[in-house]
Amino acid sequence: MTDLDPVIHAQARLRVVASLSALGDGDRIAFPRLQELLAMTAGNLSVHLRRLEDAGYVEIRKTHRGRTPTTLIRLSRRGRLAFEEYTEAIRTLLDPTPSKEQS
Amino acid sequence: MNPDDDLPPTDAAAALRLIEDQRSETTRRLEPDPRVLYWPWGIAWLVGFGLFFLRFSPDDRVLVRLPGWLPLTVLFVLLLSAAAIQAVAGARAYGQVTGDSARRGRWYGCAWALGSLSVYAGLGRITEHLPHDLAALLWSATAVGLTGALEMAGGAIWLDRDLFRLGVWISVINVVGTFAGPGWHSLVIAVAGGGGILVAGMLAHLRRRRAR
Repeated sequence: MTDLDPVIHAQARLRVVASLSALGDGDRIAFPRLQELLAMTAGNLSVHLRRLEDAGYVEIRKTHRGRTPTTLIRLSRRGRLAFEEYTEAIRTLLDPTPSKEQS
Repeated sequence: MNPDDDLPPTDAAAALRLIEDQRSETTRRLEPDPRVLYWPWGIAWLVGFGLFFLRFSPDDRVLVRLPGWLPLTVLFVLLLSAAAIQAVAGARAYGQVTGDSARRGRWYGCAWALGSLSVYAGLGRITEHLPHDLAALLWSATAVGLTGALEMAGGAIWLDRDLFRLGVWISVINVVGTFAGPGWHSLVIAVAGGGGILVAGMLAHLRRRRAR
């Protein structure tokens, strides 16, 4: 398990990326909702999101909804690709025979 | 920061399990339970159109002596309740997710509202010139027809097989009921329409559970 993407290959960030990958392609999720889905503290989630943002895997957009500031998050194209490659690598580790295409 | 959660998963199997659990959990919580979306409409049709059939029965008979205002009032109250339940369930599930899905949902809701308004405005102008039984048939056949069409369209938008099939079913039974005539139409819509919505909700629920 040495060649796996170190940014994603950590329990917390893998959970973040897996959750974001379940969103629709053009969708963004608000920070508090993501926090609730993952049951992580705000501080902890921020740290991991920053790490993912630095790697170019997530896009974080700060905006306003009415007068309330909102932070919206989504997986970038690069992040989605990295997650797919990671999942594929994991599956290959588990079952080295070429498997049928996973959707 | 929790020092443990920066560690890699213990092995490949644990990593895969984590991915699958997290994805299905997210999907489950971002999508309302289909039973909550479908069943209130099914009950509204079953009870509302059922009362219509009992009060305004075929060949101008009255099977059960209910007050004349009751069926329409009950139908409207139940339909409004179903719409409210759907709005709350949708807001709870999709709340705080913005982007293409939210826009799709908003425009689809808009199609229902504006489509209904434009169709019923026309009906409202002509019903006074029709006998009561034909006016009732015209209103319910149009409302049910619009529902079937929009459900098929919804199935196409979300590639949702259950919703599309329900739209087809409702359109077909609407034709059958319309040709059967006033009174019978209410019975067909109550039993096959309301029942069909209840079944569709169950099928959508089972499909989602199997997918997990």
